[in-house]
Amino acid sequence: MSSLARQPLCLASIFLVPLLTLAAPAWLGIAGVSPSWGVLWLLPWALVEGPVSGAIAGLMLGLLLDGLHPGPVSEIPALLFLGWWWGRFGRRFPPLERSFSLGLLAMVGSALLGITLLLQFVLLQPDTFIQALRGSQLSVPPRGWTPSVLGMAGLHILGAQILITGLLAPILCSLQLLFWRRQRVLQR
Amino acid sequence: MGAVLSQAFPWSGLLLLLVLVRLTKGVAFADAYALVSRPFWPGPSQQEWLRSSQRLAADLRFSQLAQDNARLRGLLDLGQVHSGAIQAAVISREVDGWWQQILLNKGTLAGLRVGDVVEGPGGLVGLVGQVSLSTATVTLLTDPASRIGVWVARTRQHGLLSGVGTSRPVLRFLDKDPQVRPGDVVLTSPASTLVPPNLPVGVVQSIDQRANPAPEAIVQLSAPVDAIDWVEVLVRRSP
Repeated sequence: MSSLARQPLCLASIFLVPLLTLAAPAWLGIAGVSPSWGVLWLLPWALVEGPVSGAIAGLMLGLLLDGLHPGPVSEIPALLFLGWWWGRFGRRFPPLERSFSLGLLAMVGSALLGITLLLQFVLLQPDTFIQALRGSQLSVPPRGWTPSVLGMAGLHILGAQILITGLLAPILCSLQLLFWRRQRVLQR
Repeated sequence: MGAVLSQAFPWSGLLLLLVLVRLTKGVAFADAYALVSRPFWPGPSQQEWLRSSQRLAADLRFSQLAQDNARLRGLLDLGQVHSGAIQAAVISREVDGWWQQILLNKGTLAGLRVGDVVEGPGGLVGLVGQVSLSTATVTLLTDPASRIGVWVARTRQHGLLSGVGTSRPVLRFLDKDPQVRPGDVVLTSPASTLVPPNLPVGVVQSIDQRANPAPEAIVQLSAPVDAIDWVEVLVRRSP
């Protein structure tokens, strides 16, 4: 594990993510949808720390966030992949400093996270989804993420979350990148 | 003769008066009594006592009916009987995200269990979906995973209220001709085993008569979930 992970205070900042998710400040949202705090924490961490530490941090973050919601849907696959991908990105290319690049990466990450959640909502109830899609004469109306729910709420939440995460990333991720890069240099 | 008449006059006058009283059923006396006793009539405080005793009688009657209802539902094995209500504060809310839920500051230590009914000012809010020692996560009626039995009391038409991820859930009727119109009040169904009967849920906002296989209605919830800070959890006990 790299240097930042050896600093308890830096690693402990991961616990801010579930706290912020629970607090869900209304003034930091678009149309009631909060940003993806996990993505905003993981992006600078993985860029500084590399793919292995990024993937482990993604796994830890996913475990923390999954505990906040009932049901089998998990954020772990997306965060694990994002941590690894952004870690590789940070190692292979010159250090990212442009706000636009950070915003774009955060938007891609938020989109990927949202899409994996949507896919899980659908795939975990395949019968309901297929029956609703076919418009069969069900005696009991379907429950869950049917195509109409996806169209009404899913795309709205996905779009709003991508937008607000992309808008906040240049501010928050830049600050975290600066701080963690400095910590890493001091550690050496 | 004149002397006799002069002696009989007062008595005959009195007799005539009494006959008049008898013929008028004593209305003059009643009016006179009312006039004299006016200062001693029951005042506002006595009216308040009367109202208070009427309220008490109504409360007793309501309590008796509730007990009867619970007993009969127990006999019919219609779900669990609610033993009491616990006040809880909303400490976190996520009403527009991937999950529509609120977090309460009471958990298993306070007696909350998964499936307990949560009521806010205005009506039903949702069901407890997850509990920890000191917190409870409430799945709101707007969550796509939520589905409860409701009815429109005016027409006695039953349906299923399903969350669709927006602030207004959809009521899917079981009958093809529910005869429901916008403005009808939606209550929890007496046949439901998940929730107590006749809790207010919301108001029908619009109806799609062409929906397949049965009409659907958009329901405006009566409890403002994004604004309430305190809720009441109806704690269950086994019948």
